[in-house]
Amino acid sequence: MQSFYPSQIIEYLYCPRYTYFEYVLRIPQNEVKYFKVERGREIHDEKLERNKEYLRKKIGVTRKWTDMYLGNDYLRGKVDEVLELEDGSYAPLDYKFALWKDRIFETYAQQLYCYAILIEDTYNKPVNKGFLVYTRSRNKLVEVPIDENAKSKVRQSTGEMLKIIDGNKFPKATKFKKRCLNCTYRNICTK
Amino acid sequence: MITWVLYDIKNNSARSYVSKACKHAGLYRVQYSCFLGTLNANEKDSLELQINKVINEETDKVYLFRMNKEQLKECSMLGQAFDEKLVTDEVKALFF
Repeated sequence: MQSFYPSQIIEYLYCPRYTYFEYVLRIPQNEVKYFKVERGREIHDEKLERNKEYLRKKIGVTRKWTDMYLGNDYLRGKVDEVLELEDGSYAPLDYKFALWKDRIFETYAQQLYCYAILIEDTYNKPVNKGFLVYTRSRNKLVEVPIDENAKSKVRQSTGEMLKIIDGNKFPKATKFKKRCLNCTYRNICTK
Repeated sequence: MITWVLYDIKNNSARSYVSKACKHAGLYRVQYSCFLGTLNANEKDSLELQINKVINEETDKVYLFRMNKEQLKECSMLGQAFDEKLVTDEVKALFF
């Protein structure tokens, strides 16, 4: 069965036509190499080497697993850190090469929701929150609450994506026209 | 926004890296160590990170100044000055 990466779900939420162009018509995205993305990957590798055994005591971490590749029937992905908390619940933690802009962006949150589902399915433990580390704002730690509603939304999205892929369905484009401006498929998409 | 990049960099390879990064970001060279052009917030941030990676903080100086079109119009340019319309992206093509 088809399973999705969190990034695919984020693309779908940005505009459902992404899923159609990339996974039905198999037209690759015209992606550019961004310096910030490359630098983020370097930092990620450095983080893996440094402080391997360190546990974040302030948020009550008792155990952790780094760079865990998890998957279930409809999702897969690599979680930077899976944390076991004092109250017996688990939580995903993700490093971001970004500045803290006083709000959590929806894409980051969606990624954590996906990881939450994966952790629940793999470890059979409840996940009520996730964490983001902003490495460019002196490693600021931000807690993101994760509720049932958010998780069911992710499941709903994967269902819709499957419908597009299996049914060869050409979906309606996003209603936010601003997104078309710098979309990688803007040349071939009928608006 | 219009961005000025001015630098004094001792190391030759670092200096040429910075000039290439500025050109790559779409800036125009107005003097040997001075670039000018229009960048959005993300492009400016990215360029800043690239420059910061190669310079020596003990010896080098780099400035990134931001200004809008009105402020650029108030600047005085004497002698062999640059084409103001070119750097503010008002000229779309150089050849026809």
